[in-house]
Amino acid sequence: MKKAIIFDSSTLINFSMNGLLNVLEKLKVIFRGKFLITEDVKYEVIKRPLKIKKYQLGALRIKNLLEKGILELPEKNSTIEKRTEELLRIANRTFIARNRYIHLIDKGEASCIALSELLTKGKVKNIIATDERTTRMLCEKPENLRKLLETKLHTKIKIKNENLDIFLKFRFIRSCELVYLAYKNNLIDLKNHNVLDALLYAVKYKGCSVSKEEIETIKKL
Amino acid sequence: MEKEHILKVLKETKAAVKREDIIKLKNLSNKTIHTASIEQDPDSIVVAVIIYSLSKIIERKKYTYYKEWPEFYKRYNQNIDKAIKALSEGKEDKFKVNIHKIRTEITKLSGKFKKYIQDVFRKAEINKASRIYEHGISMEQTAGLLGITIWELAEYAGQTGISDVDLTITLPMQERIKLAEDIFK
Repeated sequence: MKKAIIFDSSTLINFSMNGLLNVLEKLKVIFRGKFLITEDVKYEVIKRPLKIKKYQLGALRIKNLLEKGILELPEKNSTIEKRTEELLRIANRTFIARNRYIHLIDKGEASCIALSELLTKGKVKNIIATDERTTRMLCEKPENLRKLLETKLHTKIKIKNENLDIFLKFRFIRSCELVYLAYKNNLIDLKNHNVLDALLYAVKYKGCSVSKEEIETIKKL
Repeated sequence: MEKEHILKVLKETKAAVKREDIIKLKNLSNKTIHTASIEQDPDSIVVAVIIYSLSKIIERKKYTYYKEWPEFYKRYNQNIDKAIKALSEGKEDKFKVNIHKIRTEITKLSGKFKKYIQDVFRKAEINKASRIYEHGISMEQTAGLLGITIWELAEYAGQTGISDVDLTITLPMQERIKLAEDIFK
């Protein structure tokens, strides 16, 4: 394996809810690498929603991608599980409010980071695709996350800076960059001058953490 | 759990319900969410959901059509009173039982009223989850706290202005696009 995209549940859910999983299949063809999900993400996007009528169809569609090999699980590896637990513990002991650690992220998100770390160690070029913003902020701009928490919680937030180094090496993309690439590579069947705008707002309204300002920037690229 | 805070909130909730003060109820629910985001204790979260649900029930006035409402409201008030009393006496276990009883009372309801109340509570859970996510807690962690799915949270949060906050921009768009293009090369 030379390169991989690690998908968090938020991105797959977004593609599924927007009926864009076929676009993901086309992206896989031009990617010439692996699209990976962890066991924890599989639980959130397939196992759990299969029991909920409203999301059953969406889960079945993602399950189909797994069965077709578009999405793949990494080989069973105890290192991922162990590292997930370690990263989870560190991430959730980094931000402090009123003398309490703030529990920021959960297993699925931590497992993506753990897998990315493992792949990088194995010299596999990789990136995490996530639409949720907390994990991305923790890794890319923890200071912004501190400010956000402080503003929203109306209390002083301290950071254990020594914990941050571990997280600063990860890179992220979102559904909006993926649909942009699909559009640029003519992978979208719809032909209309508004297609890119429609795609970007569709993913935004299904939970992709992208601002209107960022969307306008993408459209000008 | 911040006992004094919850106690104050519950007392103010009772008074606000009597006055049918929807704005006050929503504010009280939001205040509880600040604490719930930090402490992430199930009790604060249940209190926030209950208060928000009440604000919605009163706001829509639909409850007046149901003959089961007076009895449900009576039991609801009794449980709030018991929860306040237990917390005032420092009996946290008893408080937990009573506050969670409000939620379980719904299972005793029947027919359309049950469906209506269940629906209001479910929507309140999703709304509160969205607020906790807005406070900076991750999607998965938040969904887990409220017992909802990431699917429900993503769908709801996407309709809000959560992602339009400047602080959430962690890399210039051009750089992020370059990251995406590079990995696809």
